Amino acid sequence: MAKKTILSVKDLNVKFNLRGKILHAIRDVSIDVYKGESLAIVGESGCGKSVLNKNFIGMLDVNGFVESGEILYFGLNGTEAPGQAVDLAKFKKERDWLKIRGKEICMILQDPMTSLNPLKTIGSQIAEAIRLHQNLKGAELKKAVIKTLEDVGIEDAKRRCRQYPHEFSGGMRQRVVIAIAIACKPKILICDEPTTALDVTIQAQILGLLKELKSKLDLTIIFITHDLGVVANIADRVAVMYAGEFVEIGMCEEVFYDPRHPYTWALLSSLPQLGVKGKELYSIKGAPPNLFKHIEGDAFAVRNPKALKIDFIEKPPFFDITPTHKARTWLLDKRAPKVEPPEYIRNIRCGKEKRG
Amino acid sequence: MLKYISKRLLRSFLTLFIIMSITFILMRQMPIEGYFQNYDKLSEAQIQNGIRMLGLDKPMPVQLFNFYKNLLKGDLGMSLRYRNNVPVTEILAPKIPVSVRLGVMAILLALILGLPLGTLMARYKGKLPDHLGTAFIVFIQAVPAAVYYLFLQLYGTELLGLGLLFDPDKWTAWILPVFSMSLGNIAYYAMWLRRFMVDQSTKDYVQLAKIKGVSGSKLMFRHIFRNAFVPMVQYLPATFLNTVIGSIYIESLYSIPGMGGLLVDVIKKQDNTMVQGIVLLFATVGVIGLVLGDLLMVVLDPRISFGAKRGNR
Repeated sequence: MAKKTILSVKDLNVKFNLRGKILHAIRDVSIDVYKGESLAIVGESGCGKSVLNKNFIGMLDVNGFVESGEILYFGLNGTEAPGQAVDLAKFKKERDWLKIRGKEICMILQDPMTSLNPLKTIGSQIAEAIRLHQNLKGAELKKAVIKTLEDVGIEDAKRRCRQYPHEFSGGMRQRVVIAIAIACKPKILICDEPTTALDVTIQAQILGLLKELKSKLDLTIIFITHDLGVVANIADRVAVMYAGEFVEIGMCEEVFYDPRHPYTWALLSSLPQLGVKGKELYSIKGAPPNLFKHIEGDAFAVRNPKALKIDFIEKPPFFDITPTHKARTWLLDKRAPKVEPPEYIRNIRCGKEKRG
Repeated sequence: MLKYISKRLLRSFLTLFIIMSITFILMRQMPIEGYFQNYDKLSEAQIQNGIRMLGLDKPMPVQLFNFYKNLLKGDLGMSLRYRNNVPVTEILAPKIPVSVRLGVMAILLALILGLPLGTLMARYKGKLPDHLGTAFIVFIQAVPAAVYYLFLQLYGTELLGLGLLFDPDKWTAWILPVFSMSLGNIAYYAMWLRRFMVDQSTKDYVQLAKIKGVSGSKLMFRHIFRNAFVPMVQYLPATFLNTVIGSIYIESLYSIPGMGGLLVDVIKKQDNTMVQGIVLLFATVGVIGLVLGDLLMVVLDPRISFGAKRGNR
């Protein structure tokens, strides 16, 4: 399958100015997002998942800035030739971003309870998005609003679009937020933990809806989450993020069944589903590094009981495991000693072999 | 909706009734010496006679009943001491329109100037317009009003080529009093609106609106201003009341024949009927202001409904 790159991040460095101190939130991040895929970015709180994605639509907080690197977007005006990419990292003015926001890249926020304007009807909030990006008026606009609501699975849309957000439940509101997002007809949809605030049954419904819309509208979805269950459900590709950088990127199966980075091991080991009954649930010791300071070597080395000496001295490069799977750990170097992954991870591998 | 309004009005009448009764009873707890200018020189019989003339000899419930009976006929009684034996209504009648006209114009001016100022400050938060606005607000709130009222009169009249005395028939004569009177409210509205708009602009729904491509002034007015105005509505009736009641300072500075300071004056003189008349007037304006404020809230905010539960989830 020939994959077209729609968004390409190259050596991106994002910093924040916090009361005179500089916080290095995104450190040399590079990733390609392919058209039509769903990419999940996982990592613990504060690792930079959201900050990275806010760069794509110019929603970085005012004290944050791109220090270096490029964010190339290839989808603009239908020209998908690599030569005509726009570098989003160079955008400074609000006017530049208006070309991107909504119709090219759109985003769904975490909390549906606060994402909608409480004083405007659902219909008018969707209509606002449609009017901005599709140039419809009057009866046509109204029809488009109702159609969008029906697309996200809201029944009785004609009546519902005259109602206000407080007349909707949390799950329904997230559907409305999704409706607003797809009404812009974006090419990339960023979902920033869209199911975290919802209960499990509704979560499954929303994920189902997103999957359905993705194939129907040919969307590229970037999923930000710390819920590995959600990742397994929806993602084609997974990128594991730690302390502002990617440590492992691979297809969903590759990362789940053959993880290579010690951090991915630790993350998967902490899943309750993988724990053994009667044994204490695994948790990663220590805390993420302080991003105000310069990090020497592998950022995870301090918390990794099996860290090599070189992990503390030099930052590992990405090693390719397969053409689609790469990890940033010295363990993959030819000279490295053989370090066995923890028991849990070996169990998954066995399980896969048995099933496979 | 109609049911809600009639219910609110009924409750407002009850409120007025309680206010009036308490005022009525309290006024009659004042020492009787206050009713006479030369109490010491009067004989016992003269005092008793005076009290009977004032109708203070009857038991309290009877006095109260008589008051309400006359009130229903539209009779507020005669002024006793402010201006002897002139009906209260006749004294107030020429004063009310002057104060109300002044107050309404001041409020309108304050809204016209205060709301854009607040919006501008919120839009350019932390930048020059915000700093200038803050300086203005601090100045208005920290410096005693009398100081800048005086300056305005002194230089304003010179600038506009007006006499110091007020002439209700010349529209230019209204400019300075109205402007002086609105200054406080301009600062007040701007301060609260800026605050509420800054609050709103950090909300998630503003983020989402921004993400979907809403920009600049559309975002500012359709989302942020509209939503910030709802909490503002609560503050409007109170400022309206304060302004309509009149400002003793401005009215005396420009010799405007309004109601400013009248209430304090008649309380000092223990003119019971005048006090009752003015309290009734102010209380009515206040209660109407509150009801209007509530109604405006309901109109502006769909989450607040008229008492009964409606809608479904």
